Amino acid sequence: MTRIATTLARTLIGASAALALVGVATAEAQAGIQSNIATVTLNARKNPVISLTAAQSALTLAGGITDNSAVNQFPALAVTLDWTLTGGSSLQLVGWFGTAAQALANGTNFIPSSRIEGKLSTAAAWSAFTGAAVAGVGVAGSSLVLENIALTGNLTNTASRSIDLRLNLAGAPATVAGDYTGTLNLRAVVQ
Amino acid sequence: MLTRAVSSWVTVVACLLAVALLVAAPRASHAQIISPDLGVSLGARKNTALTVSVLSGGVQSIASITDGAINAFSSPVRVQTTWSVNPGLTGSVQLVAYFTDPTSALAAGPSARIASSRVQGRMATGLPAAFTAFTGVGIGGVGTAGASLRLFSVNITGPNRNATRTDDLDLRLDLTGQPPLSVGTYTGMIYLRAVTM
Repeated sequence: MTRIATTLARTLIGASAALALVGVATAEAQAGIQSNIATVTLNARKNPVISLTAAQSALTLAGGITDNSAVNQFPALAVTLDWTLTGGSSLQLVGWFGTAAQALANGTNFIPSSRIEGKLSTAAAWSAFTGAAVAGVGVAGSSLVLENIALTGNLTNTASRSIDLRLNLAGAPATVAGDYTGTLNLRAVVQ
Repeated sequence: MLTRAVSSWVTVVACLLAVALLVAAPRASHAQIISPDLGVSLGARKNTALTVSVLSGGVQSIASITDGAINAFSSPVRVQTTWSVNPGLTGSVQLVAYFTDPTSALAAGPSARIASSRVQGRMATGLPAAFTAFTGVGIGGVGTAGASLRLFSVNITGPNRNATRTDDLDLRLDLTGQPPLSVGTYTGMIYLRAVTM
């Protein structure tokens, strides 16, 4: 009887020890378990881009047209250029009218683009919209390069410009009373 | 004569019985011997399991980044997390997403980088219910300081000691107020890892 009790006690002690070891091992293993690592690949393409925005969508000659004069100056037009490029030597801002002979129209009465002049507000000299298209931008005989920005170390940049526009009617026949309207197109191009 | 013969026969039978008893007696005595008891401990471990897999959306793309704006990736990342843990020894299971470098989550070269603060994640079924930047700390040794985002935390109880859950992770770039990025293809990697706490 004593032998059986002794054997039973030994067995229980051994089993308890074994269970205790398993328990300790499990407790250690379950603290801060980390899973495998799954991954997600991200790709995002930044394409070359030039954006052009204007602060005003319409300009009006407040005082009315003065014939045979160059005092017909519109309010300054504020434009902003943003560009991100990979190359190129210059960024040009081109303005043009759709039809050289009919830049502004008052019914069947027209002011040609040769009588409309533009320049940067910081510049002194005026130039008429009589140039050729630039790199496919513009219309022959009614275009004008308003700004030419050299692209040296600034392939990604922003620039704001103020543009002056006027009607130079000096020496031109008197205009017909009425509202003359037209659209000046603006576009930037890199070369 | 007959009596002597009978007597001899009886003697023989008696001897045979005696021999039989002698042979049988030791057997009866050996049946009472008992060996010492042998205790054998049995141990069987159910290993804990914790796995993360991307079911779909493992490659995310933006065809054309728009500067100064929010740019969403095309589709969510579907993430499946499976665990088998001991509820008495595990308080929670957490899923962490992270980049390895907060200053360069995506890059198109050494000088063209998008910081992890500009990458945002949202898990409607998890913790960042709204888009949140990858700017958190590591959790339980998982993640990168300043480039991590905890996606969910599940308290472990008896009923959910063995479980699988599937979540969608939405991703986007928030470039609001940022200078224009340089032209190029920006690439990066998000790491997903679960950890028990």
